[in-house]
Amino acid sequence: MTSTRMRNAVPIAIVVVGCIALGVGRDPERLDPSLSFLSPTASHPFGCGEAGVDLLALVSHAVLRGAVLAAIVAAVGLVIGAPLGAAAALRRGRFERAIDRACDLVQAFPSFLLALCVLSAVRSPNRVHLAFVFSLTAWAPFARLALAQTRVLRSAAYIEAARALGVRGPRLLWRHVLPGSMRILAVQLGSTAGAMVVSEAALSFVGLGPRGGVSLGSVLEQGVACMLFAPHVMVVGALSIMVTSAAVISAGRAIDS
Amino acid sequence: MRLVRAVFARTLEAAACVLAMATLVFFALRVLPGDPARLLLGDQASAGELDALRATLGLNQPLYVQYASFLRGLATLDLGQSLRHPNVAAMSLVTRALPATSALAAMSVAIAAVVGTLAAVLAAGPFLGARRVWVERAAVAISSTPLLSFAPLATYALAVRLRIAPLPGDPDAGFGGLLLASSLLALPLAAHIARVGRAALEDVAGAQFLVAARARGVSVARTWMKHALPPSLGPILAVIASQLGALLGGAVVLERLFERPGLGTLMLEAYAARDMPVLEGAIIAAGALFVVVQAAAAAIHAAIDPRVRQ
Repeated sequence: MTSTRMRNAVPIAIVVVGCIALGVGRDPERLDPSLSFLSPTASHPFGCGEAGVDLLALVSHAVLRGAVLAAIVAAVGLVIGAPLGAAAALRRGRFERAIDRACDLVQAFPSFLLALCVLSAVRSPNRVHLAFVFSLTAWAPFARLALAQTRVLRSAAYIEAARALGVRGPRLLWRHVLPGSMRILAVQLGSTAGAMVVSEAALSFVGLGPRGGVSLGSVLEQGVACMLFAPHVMVVGALSIMVTSAAVISAGRAIDS
Repeated sequence: MRLVRAVFARTLEAAACVLAMATLVFFALRVLPGDPARLLLGDQASAGELDALRATLGLNQPLYVQYASFLRGLATLDLGQSLRHPNVAAMSLVTRALPATSALAAMSVAIAAVVGTLAAVLAAGPFLGARRVWVERAAVAISSTPLLSFAPLATYALAVRLRIAPLPGDPDAGFGGLLLASSLLALPLAAHIARVGRAALEDVAGAQFLVAARARGVSVARTWMKHALPPSLGPILAVIASQLGALLGGAVVLERLFERPGLGTLMLEAYAARDMPVLEGAIIAAGALFVVVQAAAAAIHAAIDPRVRQ
């Protein structure tokens, strides 16, 4: 299983890294109106979009920025959620039930509404605002997993032994419980980050994203607007969102193996 | 009596959820950094204009007075007039947009429930033989592909290339447009339902009561549909309830993609124009819709599964 996962991840990684390496040296904000909606050519492998922006440059910068945002949000979610869930399961009782219920509520809640509420307080949202909004809910899956995993671990012999030796509280959590849950949390790290790539793209697709347009969602938005006469823009946008989220998810799996 | 109490408790919980969200919207628009009047009018506005707008919106009053009148407006479903369309009540814009989004969401849940459950039966049951793993693989592939990616690609293929579906933004799209949009929205949900439903069905597949039904001479198909499926509906309903939030987000994306009128479009327009009464009304309506449907899913779950009721 592990080796197939690695074998699946390697070609995606090579394609993604190759495209970024090719495109990151180009300027995503250089416009050349004479090249507007140019189909892919040798010098512009992904073609050009509105006002002649080079799509390879735009996509590779957008992927980098989106991936950094996703990684930060997933890390914040892990750092808040995992200790919270593990502590809840160790404490048991009312605290455990409250955290469990809170995870239910947060995971089922329409995150789009939450984003709209929070983003309506700023004039033009940037990636810091987006990271804040996503972090509000990103902890829940980690807490849920840590909670479930700790429920299993808390009766394990080595935890009981540590308790018998007098290890308590945070030390028990950090040294004994969380390391036992790390593999499953690493997979979640990848899938949360993958979901964040898509969420960021979705928000900028509907116009709630960073202004300036260096985002996968705005590539897609451009593509949908010119779908009839320049379909390559939309294909580039849609595929880059798909490939980026898949690459980030398989990166999480690679940590696991 | 127990039923009355259960319904009352659910209603109370739903009302508390809606109130909490309304409060969040209210404070997000007023307390978080950023002066709403300045957000609305921009940097060039004069002090007089800003003051006039603050008076219209009641922003010059103390916060608790504003909150009280906001709650009063919420209770009477009157959140004031739209700022962008003068003399139009915010709530009437919302009620005009609500049916389109409700139809889209309801139709995709219906499609997803039927397709997903059928796929689950095919993936767990003996009907396809060894080929049934392909159903599961297709479900995994669909649920790991973002809606945001495949919806535009599918629209391009169906509407522009094959010309069997109406183009995005076509005002005469009618039922075909609704069908295309809700099918696309239903696909990820159907894949989720298929995966969870298959696991639930495989749990009951070896149960004695299925053997007993077969022994009585009940056909294979009937055994699966009438005997194995009902005890597996609980997890399926739970999946639908947990995916409603994502469904709402997807509905906004699809309304934008197809330029369909609806709650999502209204919210985005109100956000772009900083039309606060409409934005508040639309967010609260969407949240209320979400809460009501989730409560309905829980009620249906209790009605069909006696194990949940105690």
